[in-house]
Amino acid sequence: MTASFIRSEDFAAFVTAMIEAGPVYGPVAKRSRFAFERLETPDELRLDYDVSILPPKKLFFPPAQDLLQFDGAGFRAPVEPTEKVLLGVHFYDVKAIDQTDLLFSERNYDINYMAHRETTTIVAANIQTVSSRAFFASVGADVQPTGHDAFLTAIAGGYVLETLTERGEALLKYGAFQPATDAQLKEAAEVNAAALERCPEMLEHGTEAIAAKVRAAFGDDELWSAMAADCFSCGTCNTVCPTCYCFDVQDTWNVDQTSGQRTRYWDGCLTEDFAKCSLGEGATENFREERAARFRHRMMRKATYLNEKLGGPACVGCGRCSAGCTADIADPVRIINQIMAS
Amino acid sequence: MNHQCHWTEVENIFLPREATIVRSVQATPTETHFTLKMADGQPMEYEPGQIVELSLFGYGEIPIGIASSPTRKSTFDLVVRSVGRVSGAVGKLDKGESVYVRGPLGHGFDLTKLRGHDVLIVAGGIGLCPTRSLIQYILDRRDEFKRFVLFYGAREPGLQLFTDDLAKWRTANDVEYYETVDKSDPSWSGNVGVITTLFPKVELKPETRAVICGPPIFYRFVIRELDMIGIPRENVAVDLERRMKCGVGKCGHCQINDKYVCVDGPVFSFADVQGLEEAF
Repeated sequence: MTASFIRSEDFAAFVTAMIEAGPVYGPVAKRSRFAFERLETPDELRLDYDVSILPPKKLFFPPAQDLLQFDGAGFRAPVEPTEKVLLGVHFYDVKAIDQTDLLFSERNYDINYMAHRETTTIVAANIQTVSSRAFFASVGADVQPTGHDAFLTAIAGGYVLETLTERGEALLKYGAFQPATDAQLKEAAEVNAAALERCPEMLEHGTEAIAAKVRAAFGDDELWSAMAADCFSCGTCNTVCPTCYCFDVQDTWNVDQTSGQRTRYWDGCLTEDFAKCSLGEGATENFREERAARFRHRMMRKATYLNEKLGGPACVGCGRCSAGCTADIADPVRIINQIMAS
Repeated sequence: MNHQCHWTEVENIFLPREATIVRSVQATPTETHFTLKMADGQPMEYEPGQIVELSLFGYGEIPIGIASSPTRKSTFDLVVRSVGRVSGAVGKLDKGESVYVRGPLGHGFDLTKLRGHDVLIVAGGIGLCPTRSLIQYILDRRDEFKRFVLFYGAREPGLQLFTDDLAKWRTANDVEYYETVDKSDPSWSGNVGVITTLFPKVELKPETRAVICGPPIFYRFVIRELDMIGIPRENVAVDLERRMKCGVGKCGHCQINDKYVCVDGPVFSFADVQGLEEAF
């Protein structure tokens, strides 16, 4: 597709025009941190954010989503997506969205995710501020993001917008864009390359070596028990993860006691009852009863189980789990580097 | 986007179909045996060993193995053990009332591996329900299989399921049926002991194909018996149960390491899952 340039002074008008055309979601400040929210004005947009509290997957896979609604007369699927623009997604989150796109569409196509995803135009943006726990440069380094429609890079005096799809190209009409020069494209490439040099944390080995060794460590109960010793089983590492997509399904009634909904809620494999089954008469079987088994399951999912399907690890190096963990034991870099050194 | 489909052209995998209860039998104090018919008249097309997600609006969905063979068309059977919110509500339903089902889901028994061979089915407790789909199938197409031996263990005589079937199997010529109870009562004159006490009663060849389904504890003991007969582990099918929420390989609840019981199973070759610590 094309590469264009827009001057800094024209950028707000571009965002305004998109907001007037339809919903635009982007990073906004939440006290000292950032969250993807629907933009009301262009001034709210904070393209200098480091990392959002929750990943942008929440637009396609909301924390609570009705799968169906029912009443006395029958039931219906409330899939009613709206065309929207998701602006300012860092490349690691695009990689995560690529993964959930695949996982929700393969084998059994999940309309509840895909309908929202297919009606979204994703504009990726360069990383201006690197978060304190990021390691996106060293995890799955040979996997490139592919699911975005355009890529926005801040350079001196404005932004370069490179479009990858018709959807991305369609955004050009909202702003005073002109063709980007070779010098501007070169600068954009340098800006993006430089961000990779600024990660505070780094994996010391490649994807395949990590996958093999982590998998081989499966039976090292002592190792996993030690690493999981301080785990509260709270599931925060799951909740903030851009590649976690497990969910629970629950029915609830409305106050009339005849209508209601079947809803899926984010769930996490670190929580105590995630793999617990009832056997009847009060007896239960929990297939991952120990904290260590649940802690290990998450790392296996991130570093090995899905690699073949995804073409790389199910971790993109955003550092959200590392920063979110109360006991600070969830950091994949520390866990993996420790396993690799053992 | 990297894929070709469009959401408006794809069936919604979370929408259930209505099924009407045509027969309801209280099989044991906690288990109800339902015979269901699809309300739209289109019969459920499935393979023995497959599962459905059974639901009641306002209560939720639960995974249940189909307990009848597709050779017995137009209706299908489910046995519900009332232990929770959904199963408790379903268990109270009667003939003529509706439930909702999604499915069939998952992979059933690999019939191509069983045809032309001696087959041993070992069922413990509620494990008789999913295996009954195969038992009926074999009995209905008896010529396709060689010797057919069936072991069934229940905790007590009063907890036996499908008692009409059991009465027939006891005297049938086309199945060698052996049963046991862990704990006897005055009504019982048969074998008493755990399921493994049935193995000395019959001589089985190492070429036999085995299918086993029971509570988690049951597998290690039954596998040991099969090993002693010399049945290779790739010829042993296990039917596993998990807390499946979606049934379509997404929600993660039923994972055993990297396998999803709902789509990769619930029937597995024992050789494929024996090394997985979380399987048994």
